[in-house]
Amino acid sequence: MALKRTASISTRLTLMNMLVSGVALLLACAGFFTYDQITFRQGLLRTLSAQAQIVGSNSVSAILFNDPQAASGTLSALQSSPNISAAGIITSDGRALAQYSRDGKSEILNIPHLDESKREGYWLARGYVILIRRIVSEGKPIGFVYLRASLADIDRRLRRYALIAFGVLLVSLIAANAVSSTFRRSVAQPIIQLAEAAQRFSRDKNYAMRVSPPAEQNEMAVLVKSFNEMLNELQKSHEELERRVAERTRELLSANRELEAFSYSVSHDLRGPLDAINGFSYLMMQQFGPGIGTRQQELLENIRASSRKMTDLIDDLLNLSRVNSSAMRTETVDLSGTARSIMEELCASSPERKVEFISADKTEVIGDARLLRILMDNLLRNAWKYTSHHDRARIEFGVIRENGRIMHFVKDDGSGFDPRAADRLFQPFQRLHSAAEFPGSGVGLATVQRIVRRHGGEVWATGEIEKGATFYFTINAPRDYAF
Amino acid sequence: MTEVNSLIVDKPRRARWMRLPVGRWQRCCAAVVLLSCAFSWAQTSKPSDSQVEAAYLYNFGKFVTWPSNRAATSYAFYICVLGKDPFGPILDETVNGEQIDGKKVGILRISRLQEVRSCNILFVSSSEEKRLPTIIVEAERVHVLTVSDMPHFAERGGTIGLVNHNDRIRFEVNRAAAEKCHLGLSSELLKVALRVIGGKTARN
Repeated sequence: MALKRTASISTRLTLMNMLVSGVALLLACAGFFTYDQITFRQGLLRTLSAQAQIVGSNSVSAILFNDPQAASGTLSALQSSPNISAAGIITSDGRALAQYSRDGKSEILNIPHLDESKREGYWLARGYVILIRRIVSEGKPIGFVYLRASLADIDRRLRRYALIAFGVLLVSLIAANAVSSTFRRSVAQPIIQLAEAAQRFSRDKNYAMRVSPPAEQNEMAVLVKSFNEMLNELQKSHEELERRVAERTRELLSANRELEAFSYSVSHDLRGPLDAINGFSYLMMQQFGPGIGTRQQELLENIRASSRKMTDLIDDLLNLSRVNSSAMRTETVDLSGTARSIMEELCASSPERKVEFISADKTEVIGDARLLRILMDNLLRNAWKYTSHHDRARIEFGVIRENGRIMHFVKDDGSGFDPRAADRLFQPFQRLHSAAEFPGSGVGLATVQRIVRRHGGEVWATGEIEKGATFYFTINAPRDYAF
Repeated sequence: MTEVNSLIVDKPRRARWMRLPVGRWQRCCAAVVLLSCAFSWAQTSKPSDSQVEAAYLYNFGKFVTWPSNRAATSYAFYICVLGKDPFGPILDETVNGEQIDGKKVGILRISRLQEVRSCNILFVSSSEEKRLPTIIVEAERVHVLTVSDMPHFAERGGTIGLVNHNDRIRFEVNRAAAEKCHLGLSSELLKVALRVIGGKTARN
């Protein structure tokens, strides 16, 4: 019997019990049965032999004086033995002096035609046994007694035995099952409990749960105790870990907040003097513009340009810090709509450019509308900027669904980038192009990455020099995503 | 069956008898008798009456017990034929080499009553019918089993009378006669007897 690999311990135990008791019982039954068969057969043969002896000695005179009637009379005594189906008294020359047949059909062996060895003895055939005995008078054989006995008794016994064995087997299997259920409770039950507890633990991550120890003080109790101790340790180290993480998080958060507050105030405070420089240089241009020379005017213009650039940079930095620190409010946002409105603004700012914009319809995601607008603004403005050297440009916003993952992308056919430097793209203040070629602070893509990460997504880019760039991002923020 | 009979029963015995120190004339006679016997068997496909009677005569010895004092004095078992012998060599042939109660069986052919004392079984030939009463008295005196094939032998005081019944040799037993001779008759013998006279359990 092949036990299924998935059969439980309890099933295995029950099966084992029943198998062991069944096999033991069958062997015992087989032993008893064999013994009984042998003794019964021997008994039968002994009885037959004795009957043949009696018949033989009672037929001596009948044979000697050739009296078939007397011989038949002797044989008729065999009627009291129901298992003898046929009998005969045969003279040594093979003449049947008398015959007896229980069912009327006479079936007498022609004894003189038998082998010498078979003239005295017995042999078993299918369903009957034949016994032949010599009749001896004064030491000389004068004839044979022949008995044929049915073995139906043996068959009947066999059937009865089989029936009893089957009954005993059935009862004992039930008993074995009942007994084993007691042991099952004490052996298998704790194991099952333990297995269930382990399963529950790995599913629910409930560090507080414990397995109730079994009543017996055996290996199972040790196992359960060890398991509970292990859970204890796990709980302790888990709590320690949680505590440490919370602590670190707290520390990190406060450090971050301090840093952000610092950078915010620095940026904010830096703007005041810059505005002053900008404002005063403007006033100077207005008031003394006509009076001063061209060279001085150029210098003033440089001062103003630099201070504007500085203002932009500070704005970007403030943006970046706001992206990091501001709380998120999640809602359904239509990215396509956002993209279109941004593109309209861009087209309005430079009406002379010929840019084809293609957008997917109604691309909705869940996230913070303000941050997502900053994200789209940065990406589209980037595309706008890096296609500015081309006469005609094409910018596309779309969605790709791959293996159940939704990827948004912004694609342009602008100047692209060196793919070997792709990993530097999203680092703040890292620029792949010179400021002369494309103006910028190098903070935009860093901001994009921050926003995408806050939405639980990823951002990456593919591109080649002069063959355009594609920026992919995913947004995974669930509706109740809390930061 | 005849063949089997002759093979099993007769052939070895005849061979042994042929080796006995008897005269040529007797051998010739025996051969003639045997040949005629064989001829008659072939005709009737069964043993002759003489053969059967001879065999019976010998077999009676197995079912009869003699008074102990008598049995002790004899070292051999004698079957005697009184008067004209109807068997010839058949009887000798039948008992040749046989034993009863561990005693060798011998054949005596007698004519005088005094000789009866050494016999166990006395076959009274039909020729002695006239002096039968004397014979029976003598047999009772010396405890001898009397057997004869003369008619109504058992009724006339003999112990066992051989009769031809339905073309078969059977015998009648006179229990009273046996008791007078102090002879014990086995129930086995009485069982196969055609008739038992003077007893409590008569068949037929």
